[in-house]
Amino acid sequence: MITVSIDEKACVGCSLCADACPTGVFTFDAAADLPRVSEPRECFGCLSCSEICPATAISHGELPLSESFYHDPYALRLAGLLTGNGGPRVHVPEDRAGGLADLGVRLLSVAWVLKDIMGNGLPVVGTIAGRTLANQLPRYQPPRNLPEALELARREFHPAWELSARAEGDSLSVEIGGCVLRDLCAREKVELGGELCVLFFNYLGGYLSHMGKTRLKPVGATRGAERCAYQWKRVD
Amino acid sequence: MKARISTEWLSGCSGCHVAVVDLHEKLVNLAEHAQFVRLPVLADEKGYPEADIGIVEGAVRSDHDRECLLRMRESVKTLVAFGSCAVYGGPSGLGWLYGKDAVMETVYREGPTNAGGPGPDAAAVPLEESVVPIDEVVPVDFYLPGCAPHPYFIAAGLGALLGGKGTPLTEKTVCSECTRKMRKRPGVALRKGAVTAEEPDVCFLSQGVVCLGSVTLNRCKAPCPAAGTACAGCAGPSLDVITEPHLDLRNLVATRMHKLTGLEPSAVKAYFEENAATFYAYALASPVLYKKPTVELREWIGGR
Repeated sequence: MITVSIDEKACVGCSLCADACPTGVFTFDAAADLPRVSEPRECFGCLSCSEICPATAISHGELPLSESFYHDPYALRLAGLLTGNGGPRVHVPEDRAGGLADLGVRLLSVAWVLKDIMGNGLPVVGTIAGRTLANQLPRYQPPRNLPEALELARREFHPAWELSARAEGDSLSVEIGGCVLRDLCAREKVELGGELCVLFFNYLGGYLSHMGKTRLKPVGATRGAERCAYQWKRVD
Repeated sequence: MKARISTEWLSGCSGCHVAVVDLHEKLVNLAEHAQFVRLPVLADEKGYPEADIGIVEGAVRSDHDRECLLRMRESVKTLVAFGSCAVYGGPSGLGWLYGKDAVMETVYREGPTNAGGPGPDAAAVPLEESVVPIDEVVPVDFYLPGCAPHPYFIAAGLGALLGGKGTPLTEKTVCSECTRKMRKRPGVALRKGAVTAEEPDVCFLSQGVVCLGSVTLNRCKAPCPAAGTACAGCAGPSLDVITEPHLDLRNLVATRMHKLTGLEPSAVKAYFEENAATFYAYALASPVLYKKPTVELREWIGGR
């Protein structure tokens, strides 16, 4: 059973917890100026009371923790190190392999369907997706040139992709070490250079062109079981 | 053997170093377990001696700050981001919304006291393009925000690091130590500007005054509301704001004020947005705020 406890010293007596609780766990004891947990069995762990409590005075025990896929790892680490032991009350699964495998199979299906519909237009889909991403991120410190865009891409794509770039004159080469898509293709026995590779190559190109304020023309790609390399030419 | 502590002062006001001195008689206890091998406000040590604990005050604003921070990281085993500037960028984090050139132009060419002046010459340390918290540059092992951190938490934090009977620092908000009572006051109007509230024992939010106590981590023991001033949020956001993407200072305060007074949440949020540079002053430059989908600091405040 979920347990609810109130830090009476921290409580400021606002009674907002009693208002917020959808199942009537609390009654407000006006004489003592404190909420009481009068129906503990009614709590189903929605945490409405915790969210509204201004003094962080309510805590729950025995909560079934939901797995978290959306929490920012930076924020979770910061919260943990701010208190020494406290921080987030969320469970971040150590092993996401199951979820990723499932997601990967769906991604392959989507890529096949896209290829079926778009035919030779598939690269454009990748380019537009890359540009869309570039439009959304980052909003505050957009890179001013291609080297800054490459550095940002290296950070933002990590750890799913390990990128390293080399630019000489108007030619740009990006080497890809670790790649989630390559791992996925190996697992599902899909040949390299298929739909997903085409989509990603153009996706990266669209992203870098937009971020780096330049025009990149795809020149070629070499693919291998350990590393791949993509080449572009600057045409501006 | 005594632990060696080394401190560094980047783009900050030295208030955090002074806060260490505020340990008063506890300094004597500290001296039994540790020695300061570097302490810029008190001793002239220009090098970076090896140390067990490194304490860094201030954000990274210039090339010089970055270099000092890198040398600090190399010379210490455990690095503590000390004070809100080091943890979140602090008030000087506002420079993060503007480019270096805009800041130089405003301060040295348009400022009323030196308009038309020559500006700093080439020998001055170059500013970086923006202001960042120290963990944008080096890995940080512990964070102790506050402007400045209260000596109680400095002692607790250092105690834990020195292997004493350190207890984990509180996860609660400033309200948890505030002595004012939060009451429902339907019909109260929103009071803007630098105002206090008449009733000394009743919560600011209940009286229509925006206070950041409920969205601020307690690293201060709530002295401001006790002295009649609403919380300014100097220790940075509370843990729920940090970890939950949908929670933000303005929507949490607006919801609470609405439930206490009936004030329209949209009016409170609009007030936050008009004065975002004040309400978000201490953690502007931290990804915990600017990455939130609901926080549009650049749109609210301006900048590049």
